[in-house]
Amino acid sequence: MSKENIEEILKNIGNENVPVDVHKIAQQVSADFSKTLLQTGKQHIFWEHIMRSSITKLAAAAVVIIACLIGLSVWRTSGSGIALADVLQRVEQVQAFMYKMNMRITVSMGENMPAIDQDMEMTMIISRDFGIKTETITVNGNTGEKSTHTAYVIPHEGIVVTLMPDKKKYMRIEFDDDWLAKMKQENNDPREIIKRMMGSEYTELGRSTIDGVEVDGFHTTDPAMLAGMGENIKYTLWVDAKSWLPVRSEIEFKKGDQMQVHVVVSEFNWDIPVTADDFKPVIPDDFEPMATGMQMPKISEEGLIEGLRLFAELSGSYPKKLSMLELAQETMAFMTNRDVLEKIKEKIPQARGLNEDELDKLDRDEVMMKTMQITKPLQSPGFFYMMLVQDKKEPVYYGETVTPADTDKVLMRWKTSDNEYRVIFGDLRAETVTAEKLAELEANLPK
Amino acid sequence: MDYKERIELFEKIRADYSVFLLSVLWKLTGDRELFTEAVQYALLGIWQHLGKLNGKKSTAYIYRIALTANSKAWRNRIGRDGQLSHNQIGLARPADQKLDRAELTAKIRQAITQLPNKQATAVVMRYLQQQDYPAISEKLSCTEASARSHVSKALATLKTKLATFVKTGVEI
Repeated sequence: MSKENIEEILKNIGNENVPVDVHKIAQQVSADFSKTLLQTGKQHIFWEHIMRSSITKLAAAAVVIIACLIGLSVWRTSGSGIALADVLQRVEQVQAFMYKMNMRITVSMGENMPAIDQDMEMTMIISRDFGIKTETITVNGNTGEKSTHTAYVIPHEGIVVTLMPDKKKYMRIEFDDDWLAKMKQENNDPREIIKRMMGSEYTELGRSTIDGVEVDGFHTTDPAMLAGMGENIKYTLWVDAKSWLPVRSEIEFKKGDQMQVHVVVSEFNWDIPVTADDFKPVIPDDFEPMATGMQMPKISEEGLIEGLRLFAELSGSYPKKLSMLELAQETMAFMTNRDVLEKIKEKIPQARGLNEDELDKLDRDEVMMKTMQITKPLQSPGFFYMMLVQDKKEPVYYGETVTPADTDKVLMRWKTSDNEYRVIFGDLRAETVTAEKLAELEANLPK
Repeated sequence: MDYKERIELFEKIRADYSVFLLSVLWKLTGDRELFTEAVQYALLGIWQHLGKLNGKKSTAYIYRIALTANSKAWRNRIGRDGQLSHNQIGLARPADQKLDRAELTAKIRQAITQLPNKQATAVVMRYLQQQDYPAISEKLSCTEASARSHVSKALATLKTKLATFVKTGVEI
């Protein structure tokens, strides 16, 4: 390589025009920074940026988890009737299979945060014996940037290992018994699946052909499919007419004007040969751990209380609503508050007491991961609430009127049996009460 | 200067240099994610050094801020060991494989982050902004001969780094 070659390349770089979308990125970053100056006050500009990045990533991860849970449960729970029950029975017999899932998610996170706009292409291999492996390519719709990662869900070890080759990093996240039970319930109990299938109405589309395969189609727009979590649902499932195994499914739904999701599941390969080694993550020697001791948000009463307590500690009140999207938006909003940022910073040993210049010298990824770890419990109430809705336990939440000072008022309740309810009070203590007692308590709620 | 005045000054300086930062940081990064980070660091740099950007040497400082921001963005992309990911711009590769033009361009961008400040500034002015030597020498407050020397030394350093990489496959 000569000096002339290098000069030529440098001249070519000099002649490059700045793409139109890069102009927009610059404008957006600049506007965000100016807004930060006005909102934040004299200190912690850099800290604010880390927080925003962390929370955006946290929200994006939560949205993807929700969409995956919805996607997974949707193609397992469509319609009712003998034909689809046979399909599910057939699926249950398969030991290992793979498919592709293309997902587009657009979520508005409120005026203080950029919208999440993502295209994801996931290749999933699922084995009843060994676990789940997913390879994901994500394209950020705002910047056009592409990233890849491979995740291994290892149920018997209770961990998810994610490799990020782009960053030469990896992450281990533990999930607890509640997550495990939930996953087992989703994956292995045909009675549960059939019971849920009976809950929605569908139409038969008749016979058609997809990629040369004769298929039968089923279509539904029944909101019961998503247990009220989405609207304007359009879900179609095409099943191989001979094998009775799914060939393709497509779902589209939205939640208000804030979230739109479109998922296509296709390219199924059924009964593929797999070994335990296929599901063992191989971490290259030069990959660094992103964080240790990371855990999935708890989907339990304990997680609910822990999340509500942290929310109240940081913001002084409980979240107004517990649906995942509204909770995420509310969290976004208060995370831009300087006092909240300061409280979180003081929980991070590396960041405690540092000024802006000193914060600048910290490892950005480490601080971001630590921040995500600390704020993770804030997701649990949303997941737990979603699970209660899915399980038809009639959860009702009164965060708009009940505050931490309303110690004896009902903050949340859900049904545990025909005549009993679990109640979380304003001081976060939990009790099981009868329907009559609940009626009495709810008559005394603040207006 | 009170906080309100600082914000006003920041907005003025940001407006003055927005075209410069857009162009230079894009050419130095050539990657949207890196560019976004570099712009954030540059704005932070402007905010932290407002006083220096309001004086006679403001031009020299804005180059320093832009180059530092670019280096920080690249440093975040590169692992602690100084090695880039196999899947990214800095593709590691067997020594006997030829690099294509896009890879070479990315390698040169990466190598610029490791040049001494004056050499990097001179290269940016000369090639990325296509300025002549009298203009460069004026902005660097040096003679024309010194400006030529900075550019020449920078090219030599880049050549050495690139040659090592092409020969051995070892990352820059």
